[in-house]
Amino acid sequence: MSLSWILRRLLLIVYTVFVVSVLVFGITQVLPADAAVTLLGENATADALAAIRDRLGLGAPIWMQYLRWVGHAVTGDFGLSMRTGQPVGPEMVAALGRSLLLAFAAIALMLVIAVPLGVVAAVRQGKLADTLTSLVSYLGVAFPEFVTATLFAMLLADTLQWLPATGYVSPFEDVWGAVQHLALPVLTASVILVAHVSRMVRSETLDVLHSDYVRAARLKGLPERTVLMRHALRNALLPVVTIVALDVGYLLGGIIVIEEIFAIPGIGRQLMVAITARDLPSIQAGALIMSATYAVANTLADVAYAFLDKRIRYD
Amino acid sequence: MTTPVLSIRNYTLEYLTGAGPVRVLQDIGFDIAPGEVLGLVGESGSGKSSLAWAIMRHLPKNAREVSGDIRLGDTDLRALPGRELTRVRGRRIGMVFQDPSTSLNPTLPVGRQITETLVTTRGLSPKEAWTEALALLGHVELRNPEALMKRYPHEISGGEKQRILIATAFGCRPELIVFDEPTTALDVITGAKILELFTRLRAETGVAALYISHDLALVSRVADRVAVMKHGKLVEEAPADRIFRAPQHPETQILVDAVPRPERRLVHDQPGERVLLAAQDISVHYARRRLFRPAPPPATQAVGFDVRAGEILGVVGESGSGKSSIARALTGLADFSGNIRFDGRPIAAGRAMDRQYRRAVQIVFQHPDSSLNPRQKVGEILARPLRLFGGNVADVGKLLEQVRLPASFADRWPHQLSGGQKQRVAIARAFAAKPSLVICDEITAPLDVSVQASIIELLLTLRAETGTAYLFITHDLNLIRQIAHRIAVMRGGELVDLLSIDAIDAEHVHPYTRDLIAASPTPVG
Repeated sequence: MSLSWILRRLLLIVYTVFVVSVLVFGITQVLPADAAVTLLGENATADALAAIRDRLGLGAPIWMQYLRWVGHAVTGDFGLSMRTGQPVGPEMVAALGRSLLLAFAAIALMLVIAVPLGVVAAVRQGKLADTLTSLVSYLGVAFPEFVTATLFAMLLADTLQWLPATGYVSPFEDVWGAVQHLALPVLTASVILVAHVSRMVRSETLDVLHSDYVRAARLKGLPERTVLMRHALRNALLPVVTIVALDVGYLLGGIIVIEEIFAIPGIGRQLMVAITARDLPSIQAGALIMSATYAVANTLADVAYAFLDKRIRYD
Repeated sequence: MTTPVLSIRNYTLEYLTGAGPVRVLQDIGFDIAPGEVLGLVGESGSGKSSLAWAIMRHLPKNAREVSGDIRLGDTDLRALPGRELTRVRGRRIGMVFQDPSTSLNPTLPVGRQITETLVTTRGLSPKEAWTEALALLGHVELRNPEALMKRYPHEISGGEKQRILIATAFGCRPELIVFDEPTTALDVITGAKILELFTRLRAETGVAALYISHDLALVSRVADRVAVMKHGKLVEEAPADRIFRAPQHPETQILVDAVPRPERRLVHDQPGERVLLAAQDISVHYARRRLFRPAPPPATQAVGFDVRAGEILGVVGESGSGKSSIARALTGLADFSGNIRFDGRPIAAGRAMDRQYRRAVQIVFQHPDSSLNPRQKVGEILARPLRLFGGNVADVGKLLEQVRLPASFADRWPHQLSGGQKQRVAIARAFAAKPSLVICDEITAPLDVSVQASIIELLLTLRAETGTAYLFITHDLNLIRQIAHRIAVMRGGELVDLLSIDAIDAEHVHPYTRDLIAASPTPVG
């Protein structure tokens, strides 16, 4: 792994975000939403509409509008929300922070559950433990989020009354409250991912356990424990890094449902609200920030992979 | 009499399959005395690897041991529970595998993989193990052991890996080491050096060994006694020097006959004078040219040769010498600079090669498993070139008979065929285009010696019938000396020698050619 490789990866992020910005801007141009009408309402006079279009620069050619938007965006200024009149950037970044907290907590919990589950299933292939873990993980994917969420909420919030059902508390204000409020959504999100990762860990571990070098390690007299921990797991867990990076993307966009059910003002929910309200600056900012996050996550995964697997040469 | 190191009695093994039990070993019995090397020879599928797994107690789940004893010294290996087995492996029996590149963990430095073994089997401290590993690596003639210990397996060559594995096996000071075809995956010169190393270490340590191989010539050189296996049975056991001179069993006779011997020529005619293919200054480039970066060195450097009509031109050299790159360039699979003339006509490189040339020059690849589409039946595989080059699709049956396979094989899938049969299908596919030159790229390397002999016989018959010329790429010098009219020797991408077969023992040959000849195992006796 060389410095020039890392630099090129960083450039690739910039390029990705650039392409997305063109797409996002293009899409918001063809959306059946007129910024002036959205701002002033259906009954605004023609003069008033013309005045505001002039003020927003909507009369300028599209590429000029794009350049102006990008120019501001790189300084963190995504304009004012058409719905609330507040700056869009800080609001979206705060929402992203809440979503990332949820996403990373869910991934951490998922790894803690899924990796041992997959390894046990592989080691006990075809036995009861294997069948049970398969069953559990398939149940996890089979239920849609809203069913899983409802079941967890019924059990933990309603029947047992251990956890609050909805809402978000910032960990900077009240750590214990934040943990309690995050518990249900994190649990729901991780259950879906557990299936992905545990199945993957299982098949990778099986492959590695049948490899020549694991056989060689066994036959040179290493205890089974060492063979499993040092020779098998190390190689079996590599692909998990990639899956986790993909899951970050899924979590950022896909947990809209979870954010909606548990009333967490994350970026998915903010984007949903923006789309319903035809709040163009919010849509643009939300989409761009999400894609940038995704690109960064994937790059981090590649770097991690290169660091863990010495066979991959980046030069 | 001393107790044998390994003693096997009446050992019978079955695999349970969907179609019922299949017997893979039948009443096997032999002893290996302390310090003795027993060679075990047989074709693939004869059960020699199953026997190795049985000794190592690493049988697949569907294996069923019907009867017999396997004793290591006084220990009954079959009676050992898993935990005690771990204490026997490495410590008392070591093993060296066929493919060194897959036997090392790709994500651990090689040093770690040696020291962990020494720590477990000899109870050394990590620090002592490190010092010991350095000594071991130096002892197997590896340069700069310090640096090597920190490398990862993909950063070192196959020969170095096999040396490391051998050093590890000997370093554990076992009573017995099982060698399972330890040189098959290596090229001739590297393999010969590994054999030398084996002989030296064995003499120094006096460890007993079971040496498994399909190559009778090789085994007869390293072993004290040789046991021949066929269909799961031991058919003959004799001192190594006698097995070649006076084979008793017909199976042994077949194996002896199959060993290529340079002095026994199989081709007696001379090719015509007409030049079929003339290659000049062929340099093969693989990597793309990149901005701000020097172009990578070519895989072959300005190689030139010609092939005459009906000639067999052998191309030899170790792996990485550029042999296969030549084959890829001539068939348009790799980009190259230089000139090719075919039948006097200039031929464009790469994609621009015309159809007439592509029809006339065919290639057979090393691994039929990957060159035959597993999702197509043999009939479809053979119909493709017939359709492409204007043949009659109904001729598939004839093609199969031409390569001595039943016409009914057209309905079979590649996986239903043996390695030799698959290679025959690949040869039939090449001949479907009625070529005037067939490039054979190590086509017998994955095959047993006896199957190899039958494939060579087939190629020579086809040549007699069609007058085709062959560019025969191989690392087996003994084999090529039996059939080639001329031999091209390659090293590091350069053509170092281009000799007529009569001149190969002459004074003026390149020193490297002489090394190659010296490294080729010739049978004892």
